Amino acid sequence: MRDVEEPPFIDLSVREILTEMKDISEVMVDLAYAALMFDSEDIAQKVSELEAEMDNLNYAIKIKTLLAARTREDAIQLSGLLQIAAAAESISNAAGDLVKLQDVDIERRPFLSFMLRESEEKIRMGTLSEKSDMVNRTIGDLGVEAETGMRVIAIKRRQRWIYDPEPETKLKARDTLIVRGTKDGYERLAEFISGRKHWPEYGEGA
Amino acid sequence: MQELEKMLLELKDTSELMIDLAYSSLLYNNHDIAEEVVFLEGMMDELGNEIQEMVINQSSQGGDVMKSLVVLRLQMAMEEIADAAASIADVVLRGVPQHPVVQMSLRDADVVISRATVASSSELAGKTLGDVKLSSISGMFAIAIKRGKKYIFGPNRSTRVEAGDMLIARGPEDGEEYFVALADGTEKL
Repeated sequence: MRDVEEPPFIDLSVREILTEMKDISEVMVDLAYAALMFDSEDIAQKVSELEAEMDNLNYAIKIKTLLAARTREDAIQLSGLLQIAAAAESISNAAGDLVKLQDVDIERRPFLSFMLRESEEKIRMGTLSEKSDMVNRTIGDLGVEAETGMRVIAIKRRQRWIYDPEPETKLKARDTLIVRGTKDGYERLAEFISGRKHWPEYGEGA
Repeated sequence: MQELEKMLLELKDTSELMIDLAYSSLLYNNHDIAEEVVFLEGMMDELGNEIQEMVINQSSQGGDVMKSLVVLRLQMAMEEIADAAASIADVVLRGVPQHPVVQMSLRDADVVISRATVASSSELAGKTLGDVKLSSISGMFAIAIKRGKKYIFGPNRSTRVEAGDMLIARGPEDGEEYFVALADGTEKL
């Protein structure tokens, strides 16, 4: 018996792994702040899971890169690449450390909410009204972030969570969206999710 | 605690800006931006030290120890993010040609970095970022402006955009086209 489990085989290229690591590290920071903001253990749990995934990705990229180096020039270039991967992993560790702040009672971290509220880019939450014409459309088809500047980082649907949703994810009435972006952006999005305003259509192909 | 709160806020905003700047220095192999990241890292350290002294003083004078602990941990996590950004910038500053995979990976990412030069016919010219609400109309969040040889890093709502400026922004891939068209004047607000 071995104590240490063999990391799972990751069938991705170096290029794909590096992209994954960048994407995951960024969404982890957003989710970590969201977990603190809304005092959500579910979100914190997801951050911890992603942290473990990042460890595996970082391991896989090291092995693949080492195997790819044939000359000194290769090695020099690839060491830069590994440094970037390691930085993404450090960011994910920082996100993991952030969610651990939840262990302290919310009353004892009042300055946290000030920081999260006043920050240039904020984490906000909003529920999708049945009247909104975003309902039954996908995030990618709507282009939510391009249209409002707000990135959907998680969706709560009844008791279930969808983290870092894909462009193919379809929005449903009464979904709670956790979004990241500026104040102006949230005000704009709020008009659409409440159904007060129609989602803009640009008549492509019409 | 007002002062402390403001300092933490600055740490958060700076650490996030640093990550965006670090990746953009990598994408464009840009030493000026990479050097700014290293500069900001120094600022984060100074601010971090001040915060640490402040909370340790407070708790030694009978302040809430748990509260101080949260502040210290928060500050350290944000410093870790800043250090990671500096480590990315270091790859650029080392001046070694980058592996082509790095830039390809950055282009494939969910959050992309883009740049565009503001034409005199652009509706962005002469307006502040707050006036045009660039981020909420295009999804692209400005992280730096290059004006002549100089840079404005981390522009804010009151930063005025001028014709000839090069804007560097980050956002979703499908926001890029509109952002570039707004800058070159082919698309109106």
